[in-house]
Amino acid sequence: MTEFALAAPTIVDNLLLKFFSEQTVNYVIWPFIQIGAVVTITALWVAYATYLERKISAFIQARLGPMRVGPWGLLQPIADGLKLLVKEDFIPENADRWIFFVAPYIAVVAAFVVMAVVPFGPDWAVITDVNIGVLFVLAVSSVGVLALILAGWSSNSKYALLGALRSSAQMVSYEVSMGLAIIGALMFARTLSLSGIVSAQASDSIWFLLYQPIGLVIFMISGIAENNRAPFDLPEAESELVAGFHTEYSGFRWSLFFMAEYAAMVVVTAVATTLYLGGWYFPFVYRLTEARGHHTAYVVVSLIAFLAKAGLLLYLYFWLRWTLPRFRYDQLMDLGWKWMLPAALINIVVSALAVTILQGLNGFGGMRTIESTTNGLNLTATGKGIAIAIGIANLFISAGVLSLINWRSRDFNLKKQRRQIRLVDLPKGKPAIAPDQLKIAN
Amino acid sequence: MPIVPVPNPTFAQKLKRFFMVDLLKGLAVTLGFNIGALTDRDAVAGKGIYTEQYPRVRPDVAPRFHGAPRLNMDPDTHETLCIACNLCALACPEDCIDVIPMDVEVVVAGKPRRKKVLDEFIFDTSRCMFCALCQEACPTYCLELTQDFELATYSRAGFVWNREMLEQGRETVKYEA
Repeated sequence: MTEFALAAPTIVDNLLLKFFSEQTVNYVIWPFIQIGAVVTITALWVAYATYLERKISAFIQARLGPMRVGPWGLLQPIADGLKLLVKEDFIPENADRWIFFVAPYIAVVAAFVVMAVVPFGPDWAVITDVNIGVLFVLAVSSVGVLALILAGWSSNSKYALLGALRSSAQMVSYEVSMGLAIIGALMFARTLSLSGIVSAQASDSIWFLLYQPIGLVIFMISGIAENNRAPFDLPEAESELVAGFHTEYSGFRWSLFFMAEYAAMVVVTAVATTLYLGGWYFPFVYRLTEARGHHTAYVVVSLIAFLAKAGLLLYLYFWLRWTLPRFRYDQLMDLGWKWMLPAALINIVVSALAVTILQGLNGFGGMRTIESTTNGLNLTATGKGIAIAIGIANLFISAGVLSLINWRSRDFNLKKQRRQIRLVDLPKGKPAIAPDQLKIAN
Repeated sequence: MPIVPVPNPTFAQKLKRFFMVDLLKGLAVTLGFNIGALTDRDAVAGKGIYTEQYPRVRPDVAPRFHGAPRLNMDPDTHETLCIACNLCALACPEDCIDVIPMDVEVVVAGKPRRKKVLDEFIFDTSRCMFCALCQEACPTYCLELTQDFELATYSRAGFVWNREMLEQGRETVKYEA
């Protein structure tokens, strides 16, 4: 049975070749099959991400979560989807109808198109390998902001407009540090192709997480902020803005926005996995499968490794959401511009220094750090040690420089804020109580 | 604006803030509950699940819980234990009990006698505060406040229980466990 399952792609390939030319099969039919599979699996994954979110939030709060539809509530996403399908498709009066109709589709398409370049595994598990993959991901996922702005504007509602304003400001400011955080990893990969980045890590038997720990942290924080997820969910702050940009949406259009949010989460985790956690590369998998001639098993196991890593990062989303309270707006902007952006810049400088040091040490006193540059920056064991040491030192360097930068920062000066308890209603001038007479209970 | 001096953070506190110990502690708490929900069976002592699946699983109420009233019957003869003595109505601080007796003709030792028996019993659960003073007053252990807590109805009139409801209990939907 397993033999048959593993040989299935070959059998299908032979069957297709009887009816179509080789070019049609390779460039039209197989891509369509891949696209169909990826869209289906992603849609299913998105649906079950909502289920997981509800379950995990329930477990964290010592509840059970959905339990009534199917065993352990496993059919809950289907019930929810059906409910949303039969709900009224409400359009507010004076709304800009055409834009109102189009906005959810832009959001979903922008989130799903990125899946085209994500390498889920080696060989046939990747739809297309664009040599500017990272740029493509950043460019297309930014289109999602457009959908939010259009939705907020066309709804003709103050809450939706304010939510759209907030989310666009937030996404634009965090996109900067997200883009800059990637550069460090690219220096070691020497390519923009996502498959190339994975093979750079696979040929070196290392995950870029070790070279770029701060890069992953910045990328994930910016990714969470980009997706408007808690603790950065100000655009959807219930207590202030009802539901943010999708306040006026209902039924299927609302569910499209919901799908877009979760699909964007899946995209961020997938890209983070590719860049920092080695993508589909997992130690010993190649040696145990491909080297022994089991090609399909190699692809499948790599695919599972990729999904497991992405799933772990997705769990991080839920975990943070149910742990941390929401940021205040000025704190959000401070974190974006005063902490994330300088940290990303420091990361670039330190990564560049690391690469320069590695190149300088190569051949210095008989030391070899760089093996070759054919497949990314292939380092020897010494080189890896140096790169990892610099990566870990970068954590402390960044923390030190960031606290230096923000030392006198007025808004974020927590030290000063803690020293002073402002009594607002008292008149200016002579203090009502002399500070030295005041006794503070601990 | 008076400035209240707050002591400078100690070195240990600064280190804690630098390494974000509080954040990690918070994450550890939520992760602990998440793992506990999957592994720990003991909700009270450990980190298991506190909630019950209510309609399926009936919650355990406290032993001294007072709920829906009931008029007990003799288990052998299935005749009411109530002797229509009206003590419960007198004991009730909310005045929500009405005992309506009637006289019946009985023959005791060959002579016709009149006996007071229970005709109708009205218990207004909307006014009841479940103090169980009626239960204390009852000399025959007839009136009792049970552990049943599902008292909601669709109308005000539904809160007034008559003798039949008090004796048979109200019909509620029972779910299979």
